[in-house]
Amino acid sequence: MADRQPPTPGEIVIMVAGALMIVFSFLHFAGNTSAWGTGLFPIATLLPVYGLVMALQIALTKFASVNLPGSVLGFTWEQLLLAVGAMAGLMAIGWLLTDYGNKQIGAWIEILGGIALAVGAVMLQRERNTGAIG
Amino acid sequence: MDKLKVSTANLVILVAGVVMLIASFLDFNKFKYASLHTSYTAWSSHFFLIATIPALIGAVMGAHVAIEAFAPGVRLPDRLLGLSWTQIHLVLGFQATIMMLAFLIQDTKPLDKGIGLYLMLLAAIALLVGAVLRMQEQPSGYTPPSL
Repeated sequence: MADRQPPTPGEIVIMVAGALMIVFSFLHFAGNTSAWGTGLFPIATLLPVYGLVMALQIALTKFASVNLPGSVLGFTWEQLLLAVGAMAGLMAIGWLLTDYGNKQIGAWIEILGGIALAVGAVMLQRERNTGAIG
Repeated sequence: MDKLKVSTANLVILVAGVVMLIASFLDFNKFKYASLHTSYTAWSSHFFLIATIPALIGAVMGAHVAIEAFAPGVRLPDRLLGLSWTQIHLVLGFQATIMMLAFLIQDTKPLDKGIGLYLMLLAAIALLVGAVLRMQEQPSGYTPPSL
């Protein structure tokens, strides 16, 4: 059996954040509406979808040994994770500062998860020595 | 007088960025019932900051190509977080487009969608097109980050 490296802290952060975001996206985001509910879909749904995509990319390559192409549209996977993580972080700050009434548990987890995705993506750059950070 | 050289891609991004910024101050959502008429821009309370992000993205992309074209003395780093500027434009253009498409699909009843939203959507698509054109103009734009 091939040796399998345990997931790094950055990978764990992204996978946990992505899993939590998709689960909590079905709980109340604002008022009695989830991120999938009328009035919020699909603008509030983008964050959990970004989290799911990032977590799936890590999980599939880490645990299912899925072979993905080396680069997509000229981006390495590390660059893509950083770009998607940064955009998730940007939207998380956007939702944090937007006054749309009482933020519910779903919204808080999406906001924290979005920031965690950005942090995880930065950690990943260091762990994989991409040279992007520092 | 020297002619300023702005590539097609950069011109598209520049114009789209300006349109995006102007459109963000027009009606994003509006409500009209009998004589009652209320409208909200992307900068209005309840919309700021989430609906303002595409406008800010347009401003950043437009500002970058403007600096590149009109301020050759200003030295910007070749890469930001390991991404080339062409890649950054592509990411930002994609993000602006996906967000504006989401706002288009969003059910905002009883509010109607305003001209600002539609113009911002068109500008976002133009930003993405400009970013793709920029990538095609600079096929060597991608170089793997040095280890």
